[in-house]
Amino acid sequence: MRVIILSWEFPPRIVGQLANYVKELAVQLVKKDVETHVVTYHDFLTGEYKEPEGVKTYRVKNPVRTHIGVLTWVLTLNQEVERAAANIYYKANKQINLIDAYDWHFIQAAVTLKKAFNVPFVYSVESLEEHRSHGANYPFNMSIKSIEWLGFFEAKKVVVKSDWMRDEVVRIYKVPVDKIKVIEPKSKTWMKDILETYKSVGGGALPK
Amino acid sequence: MTQELTVMMLTWEFPPRIIGGISPHVYHLSKSLTRNGVKVYVVTCDFPGAPEHEIVGGVEVFRIDSYKNPSPNFATWVYLMNVNMQKEAAALVNRLGGKVDIFHAHDWLVANAGIGLKHVFRKPLLATVHSTEIGRRNGLHFDYERMIHETEAWLTYEAWKVICCSNYMVSHVRWAFGLPEDKLVMVPNGVNIQEYTRNENADLRQFRRKFALPEEKLVLYVGRLVYEKGIHVFVNAVPKILGKVDAKFVVVGNGYMKEPLSNLVKSMGLAHKVMFTGFVDDKTLKNLQRCADVSVVPSLFEPFGIVALEAMAAKSPVVVSDTGGLSEIVEHDVNGVKVYPENPDSLAWGITKVLLDEKYANWIRTNAYKTVLEKYDWDKISQQTKDVYQAVLKEYSKSFWA
Repeated sequence: MRVIILSWEFPPRIVGQLANYVKELAVQLVKKDVETHVVTYHDFLTGEYKEPEGVKTYRVKNPVRTHIGVLTWVLTLNQEVERAAANIYYKANKQINLIDAYDWHFIQAAVTLKKAFNVPFVYSVESLEEHRSHGANYPFNMSIKSIEWLGFFEAKKVVVKSDWMRDEVVRIYKVPVDKIKVIEPKSKTWMKDILETYKSVGGGALPK
Repeated sequence: MTQELTVMMLTWEFPPRIIGGISPHVYHLSKSLTRNGVKVYVVTCDFPGAPEHEIVGGVEVFRIDSYKNPSPNFATWVYLMNVNMQKEAAALVNRLGGKVDIFHAHDWLVANAGIGLKHVFRKPLLATVHSTEIGRRNGLHFDYERMIHETEAWLTYEAWKVICCSNYMVSHVRWAFGLPEDKLVMVPNGVNIQEYTRNENADLRQFRRKFALPEEKLVLYVGRLVYEKGIHVFVNAVPKILGKVDAKFVVVGNGYMKEPLSNLVKSMGLAHKVMFTGFVDDKTLKNLQRCADVSVVPSLFEPFGIVALEAMAAKSPVVVSDTGGLSEIVEHDVNGVKVYPENPDSLAWGITKVLLDEKYANWIRTNAYKTVLEKYDWDKISQQTKDVYQAVLKEYSKSFWA
């Protein structure tokens, strides 16, 4: 199986807890024979790199240097993410099982790649704008929420880390509950659940 | 005719959505390219009443949801609209089995979508730069403007070739983004002369009465009501003209300066002489251009100046400020009048001269019509554009993407 993970943070760039979670996930996936590519952002460590644990990373930076906020910053970074993901896709002879997109940042890229290549994606929810901004509904928050909505609409499966988050996704975005899979990171079945979800979304192994 | 070449145009405006010059430009270019054997898909923003998919003169037009949730400001809306445009265009290319040879983006307004599609489908991207932020704002003063400027720079960087509509714009764009000379191509804008055929019939006289008294000369301004178009210079020239000749000043278009300008006109006591029509439909606009005794383009910054060409095609004499693309279209005293930019006295002089001297007005409008026929015919322009496409594809065929 071959997976592209999209995350706006990945070590050495650590913003919150997502970076280390994605790192641990990628390392475990490699151990399970999943070819794992991580496309992420870094301002100067750009380009392709094979991490010691076997994870393939592809770091891109923002082509537009001046921004008026995180929203526009994210929206112009996505094309670079698409470029990196497309490079992986073509290098792999167009054989990618699925994309796993973390939070709203690279939903645009995930959706475009899905439409272009018929590669399905999982939307993995770390947090929601509703909670980050304490329910604020300024145009800024609404815009981010609309991107989250697009992610829920276009994703083949939504992965959350708790029952509470599942209920919040259902409450706020009216996502059908059977589209959501709760996978608790600390549970014993964590990797098994991840692999099962990936398989249900992206099919089985690739022809070697 | 076999269609050996397929192009996908990305534009934020396409008729019936008309905001500025890009809409008629893409419309005529696409139609003419189609006549010239190029298969053209246009992906553009939706518009109330316009269908999601239609075929206009052989051009396949797809209108996307242009993002209608609230957004913090215009630039953010542009980026959000691009999320939808890119997604829909990607789905369309996928449906076509990847059979698109070139993506052609018009201005930074579709930069994200164009750049994303280029990398996802590994096809060359062409950009037409119609205008620049640094030119519109006369410098870069805020992060908001710098962000747009850098988005434009990003588009020109990613583009295989950058097309500009005038020699002025070629040098301006080269300066603004530090581009190599061989990346820039000049292909002028055009006008479809048949649409402006002028017949002095009773209907037109009737039409004119809705805007001006028979004894009043009709002075026409068409354009967005924004600073760089110099509409404030025009309004300030009005009293200077009225001292010499009786006229009605018709201002067509919308923009953030509409409110302050109409207040200014009222306080000048000239509300009965200056008429703000707002946005008008295509037929009304063309009839106005046919009726106008003079058409005025007072821009401070003008990459091309299509509105001057339209007036020339409608055989209305033109008075333009001597700047940007207008300087190249108009030859003073031959096919129009050039005046000093941002100078109401000079503008008033030019307009008065045309209005008072009928022989002179006839001389310049006859020559102007010839200029349009000879230099700004869409079929000639689309051939030049097709030549650029073919040159790019030839280079592309030698790259590892091909």
